[in-house]
Amino acid sequence: MIATDQALLEQALEGIEDAFTALYRRRQGAVYRFALQMTGSTAVAEDVTQETFLALILHGGRYDEARGTVGAFLYGIARNLVLRRLDRHPVVELEVTEDYAGPEDLLENLTRRESIEQVRQAVLSLPPVFREAVVLCDLQDSSYEDAAAALDCPVGTVRSRLSRGRAMLVRKLRGAVCTGRSIECNQKSL
Amino acid sequence: MQSEESIVAALRALAEEDAELEAPLRVEDRVRKAFRRRHAARKWRNGLSWSLALAAALIVVIFVGMRDKQHPAPPRAKEVATRPPQLAVADPELVKIPPASVPARQVRRMAPKSNPQPREVVTEFFPLLDVAPPFERGELLRVTVPASTMRRVGLPVNENRLADRVYADVLVGNEGLARAIRFVSYEQ
Repeated sequence: MIATDQALLEQALEGIEDAFTALYRRRQGAVYRFALQMTGSTAVAEDVTQETFLALILHGGRYDEARGTVGAFLYGIARNLVLRRLDRHPVVELEVTEDYAGPEDLLENLTRRESIEQVRQAVLSLPPVFREAVVLCDLQDSSYEDAAAALDCPVGTVRSRLSRGRAMLVRKLRGAVCTGRSIECNQKSL
Repeated sequence: MQSEESIVAALRALAEEDAELEAPLRVEDRVRKAFRRRHAARKWRNGLSWSLALAAALIVVIFVGMRDKQHPAPPRAKEVATRPPQLAVADPELVKIPPASVPARQVRRMAPKSNPQPREVVTEFFPLLDVAPPFERGELLRVTVPASTMRRVGLPVNENRLADRVYADVLVGNEGLARAIRFVSYEQ
């Protein structure tokens, strides 16, 4: 029988290393990808992953089942660490070009690799409040409830930020297709 | 609508592209080491705390037994006078106050009065509990412990003297928990 995240966390807090390791291996990928997709930096993603689990070791006792899943708790820690770094090294927002009434299907107009990289840069150029909603719900496949717990806001706010984030992405990517150039994110190195 | 569907599809493609990404193995090594350090320290603190509480309780029992033997029915005033001073501290953070502000237990000295009195030198208090219940009252108990105990709280000790006995003051709460320890030496 597979232990739940909560059971593993309880055992880890009692000092059982195997439980902690199992929980780490189960959740580190999601935390790492979340930090990477939020910052675009593998070095920052590595640091955030490490600090998230160190925080779990120290403050895991604060986890409250009523407020969300262990996964959401970890995203919440990672999110705070990411936002702290973004405050220190803000990402310059991508300039939004005018709407283009061209082909709707982006994937038909770009090679797969180019389109994926352009989407990645467009996501990184979103303001953090919209970016975190898009990253959690669309890229991490979190439920609205988990995203709300991680972002510490109501589910309705998550839906609205997600919708606005997607709309901003559409505008940004249409512009990229229109001008036929790669999206320049102007992202400072973190 | 179609635009939103397109962007969701594009995001899905990005999610699939990143699906296999994971933190490097060195991160796992680091967090597991941190986990071991954290729990080793906790186990040690809990063990030391209980040992000191037991030692302190034994000393109290022996002290009270000897006193009763010497003074079968001491007057009440005298009993109060011989009790070690109690610490009335409202905030557990105050345990960290430098020892100079905490009244030390009076040590009876058997040496003749003509000899110079040795000066007592104490370290700061080292907490013995990770999470302690609120501290209201307690007592300072003078005990002897192996010098190796000092090393466990991070104080330097000569390898050859680890087995030597050293004096220590243990702060014991009214509930019986040993909360903090400081070490004592004497200078002429």
